[in-house]
Amino acid sequence: MDLLLLGVSHHTAPVDLRERVDFSKRGVAEALRELAACPAPPEAVVLTTCNRAEIYVACENVDTTRGDLGRFMSRFHGIPESELTPHLYTRTGADVARHLFRVAAGLDSLIVGEPQIFGQVKEAFATASSERRTGSLLNKLFMSSFAVGKKVRADTGLGEGAVSVSYAAISLARKIFGNLKDRRVLVVGAGDMAELTAVHLQSQQVAQIVVSNRTLTRAEALARKVEGSAVSWSAVDDELLHADIVVTATGAQTPLISATSISRVMRARRNRPLFIVDIGLPRDVDPAAGELEQVFLYNIDDLRAMISENLVRRQEQTVHAEAMIGAEVDEFVVWQRSRGSIPTLVALRRRFEAVRESELERLAPKLNGLSPDARARLDEVTRLLVQKLLLTPTERLKTTADEETAAQYVEALTQLFSLSEPHPADNPDRTDDVDGAGSSDTTQASMSKTPVTS
Amino acid sequence: MNLLPLLFYIVAGVAYGLHFTRRSPRAGRMATASLAGAVLIHTFVIGMQTMELGRLPFVGAPAIISAFVWLLTVAYLYTEVSTDERAMGVFIVPLLVVLQAASALGDRVIEPAAVLDSPLLAVHVMSVLFAYAGFALACVVGITYVLLFRELKAKQLGFFAARLPSLQVLDAMNGRAVGIGWLFLTAGLAVGAAWLFQLPPDTLDTPMSLFDPKILVVLLSWFVYSFELYARRAIGWNGKRAAWLSALGFSIVLLNLVPVGYFLTESHNF
Repeated sequence: MDLLLLGVSHHTAPVDLRERVDFSKRGVAEALRELAACPAPPEAVVLTTCNRAEIYVACENVDTTRGDLGRFMSRFHGIPESELTPHLYTRTGADVARHLFRVAAGLDSLIVGEPQIFGQVKEAFATASSERRTGSLLNKLFMSSFAVGKKVRADTGLGEGAVSVSYAAISLARKIFGNLKDRRVLVVGAGDMAELTAVHLQSQQVAQIVVSNRTLTRAEALARKVEGSAVSWSAVDDELLHADIVVTATGAQTPLISATSISRVMRARRNRPLFIVDIGLPRDVDPAAGELEQVFLYNIDDLRAMISENLVRRQEQTVHAEAMIGAEVDEFVVWQRSRGSIPTLVALRRRFEAVRESELERLAPKLNGLSPDARARLDEVTRLLVQKLLLTPTERLKTTADEETAAQYVEALTQLFSLSEPHPADNPDRTDDVDGAGSSDTTQASMSKTPVTS
Repeated sequence: MNLLPLLFYIVAGVAYGLHFTRRSPRAGRMATASLAGAVLIHTFVIGMQTMELGRLPFVGAPAIISAFVWLLTVAYLYTEVSTDERAMGVFIVPLLVVLQAASALGDRVIEPAAVLDSPLLAVHVMSVLFAYAGFALACVVGITYVLLFRELKAKQLGFFAARLPSLQVLDAMNGRAVGIGWLFLTAGLAVGAAWLFQLPPDTLDTPMSLFDPKILVVLLSWFVYSFELYARRAIGWNGKRAAWLSALGFSIVLLNLVPVGYFLTESHNF
């Protein structure tokens, strides 16, 4: 069983194609069901976001499945294969793990470190799980990706600092007021920037949004969109008295709000903090207002400077994050390889257990004199003995990173213990003495040296 | 005996420092655990001294400072657990270490005079110390407020913005700590006065006087905090101004606790 990924993302496809391969339009669950109906890979997870559409599968034959998945994507989205194929990328084996870990950590995102992708990966896995489309390999892959995503964000500053004007404004507001739920927002202007910021503030569940604009109808339209209220242009000064956050984004050529009027308002507010985001160009608020003690005035350049600093900081953290991901991929590869040796280990354990049971059975007549307690102890001790004997070879085989060495170990075990052939001890119905009396005596002698206490 | 808690406070200080710089949740949990360990050891030490004396060991400047450290730790741990905010620990614990060191240097259990064996006096001491703990918290919160305020005003969000809660939260914590501290200080002073008035004449070797440095300085701190509370409500002196007033008030409290308590007081020199 091997890993395969087929996908389209902002790295390989323009936005119009990305919009057409969005699985969420028809539903990820439906995609998984259709995928199961075709010559299906046994395990599959579909990840879809505005910047990527990816199918992660665990399959027996990577080459065949790659073709199947390409045809499925083309059919599901109604896009000719000739149009879609040049934009598809595939990853196999450890590269799938590396890719998913980078995606979950936000390293592969359009804006490095953005937080939403982590939740989207989780959601994709949850959907596939509920559709019963995941097995041990994809379970382990995605669980590891969650751990990596969490660790990268916790140990690096990758997700820290806003990288858009509206988020920068919100993060500043949070730093001043903490929870924004009880805050009152005044939006001056009704253009695109004002709307974008107002929508983001609304998503923070602020108490009230009041919109003011020279044209009242435009203010009313924006107020409806953000479930706020509109006030006339002349009411701005009154509203300043009550607002905690003021967003100004008008096209006015001279400052609309003077430092003097804010100073007057601050006295009436008893110095209650006022956060002003002036994203108008030219500026809408007299910069001198920022000198007032409890006024926090940020203009568009201040916010952009914050964003560039955050982006640089995130970029610096990517080296550390990539190193963490590399280590996790190595660990995943070791785990995946250890899966190859599992049949051998199971056979080895069965063989040892069968020998143990057959020897106890052979000795049964001689052990008749023992009390049930002593017999139970004997059973326990022999079982522990087998477990301890097998512990080191099992661990060694599971943790061997080198594929060739692991294969040699498996071959050696198979040969040395004849694991490929049936062994008389494997047969639970066996009653004859295969090893002869000498062997039995030896076993008895060695067992008699084991201190058994009850 | 006060050296043992001191050792634990130092360990907790290092842990809080690590947590603040690295922002690792694990270091934070270790810091809280070590401070909780320190306060337990400290409780044990105070308990042993109480058993030895047969009353609370709050006589003499070292014992008073040690009790103050214990109360401040309890108050801080309560704040930390109830707000899930550990950032203040790095500012509080060094103060605990310095004060506990001052207490440990003059470590001795003093047998109190019979006149001091009064429940009113115990209430007086405990109330005043609890008030001081509140003022210490307010001071530290105020300092962190100013640090964050400066970053926000300079539009250079960095070290403190990434680690401290919002300005509003810090301001509210400051107001609450000062309010509680002021209530306990007022009650403590009133109970102290009541104890003094019910004493028979000439009971004390050195009579209490308003001009004793300790009483004078504590009244000064009471006026500073009263003004802070009034100014916050009546004239909008919140935020930075309230933070500075808290720092000023606690400087006076510290002055009263250490140099005045050790060297200058006459009527409070038990």
